[in-house]
Amino acid sequence: MVGKKGQLKIQQMIFMLLAVTFLFILVGLIFLSVRLSSLKKTASSLGEENAMLLVSKLANSPEFSCGNSFGGSRISCIDFDKLMILKDHVEDYGDFWGVAKIEIRIVYPNEGNVICSKSTYPDCSIIKLLDKNVNTLPANSNFVSLCRKDTNGKIIFDKCELARILVSSEDKG
Amino acid sequence: MKMNKKAQEEMVGFVVILVIVAVILLVLLSFLIKKPSGEGVENYEVENFIQATLQYTTNCEDYIGFLSLQDLIIACEGQEKCLDERDSCKVLNDTLTGVIEEAWDVGQQSAVKGYKFKIVVDDQEKTVLKEGNETLDYKGAFQDFARRGTDYVISLNIYY
Repeated sequence: MVGKKGQLKIQQMIFMLLAVTFLFILVGLIFLSVRLSSLKKTASSLGEENAMLLVSKLANSPEFSCGNSFGGSRISCIDFDKLMILKDHVEDYGDFWGVAKIEIRIVYPNEGNVICSKSTYPDCSIIKLLDKNVNTLPANSNFVSLCRKDTNGKIIFDKCELARILVSSEDKG
Repeated sequence: MKMNKKAQEEMVGFVVILVIVAVILLVLLSFLIKKPSGEGVENYEVENFIQATLQYTTNCEDYIGFLSLQDLIIACEGQEKCLDERDSCKVLNDTLTGVIEEAWDVGQQSAVKGYKFKIVVDDQEKTVLKEGNETLDYKGAFQDFARRGTDYVISLNIYY
């Protein structure tokens, strides 16, 4: 009689262990399936991360940076003139930056939404440097100083404005 | 009495298992829900904002040319005036307010709930510009420089 009671207890224990194990397996399977199904999303988020890193270092890359043109070396400074030249040769770079869109917008002073071209420069505020015309993820942005040479008729001086550089990667989802 | 104790033990065991399962589920859920923060304010943004703002060319002119915002801070500390007789501190305040308001969209409906911009000269607070609510969540950065033996610290906190 005592042996039968013990057997029942062991059975109870085995059922409980099996149930808990199945529960863990079930949860693990759900977790794995969600993880696997989000592979595309991961690819997109990697692209987004790349854009975020790129946005931080782009302003200091040779194609964009002010170098020593505006008195000493400046950090996070973009040469407006360089940018206008680069805009005309951006096709030569192909997929060099690995992103779908690069845009620079002047934040202050706010002078409307005039797109920069040879005819509107320098009285413009949006420089569309790269646009692959694909679906993009929300842009990552960072502040930069956009500098150029200007004149008031008497002297030539450095004019730096506050701008935002926006980088978007392709939405692969 | 013995039966009662046994039932209690069973219940405690059941509760322990439930707690373990709940904790595991919570950990898994947190992994699933966690997404990279794309829309919030990042530290590098605030840091770059200060750097870029200090390079901004203001409309205050001296005998050499138009002053950058960094030079204007120094001019304000030296109580200098612009060539057109405007007070450098007034130009500094107006420019800073304009720059910050254009750069950060502050409001209750916006991601940015408030900001606090400070200029500290030799450990003394000289200029404090603030707007909105100072919440517990914020990103901040500072930039320091020295000129004519004086230390300047420019800091900005963005509350979200």
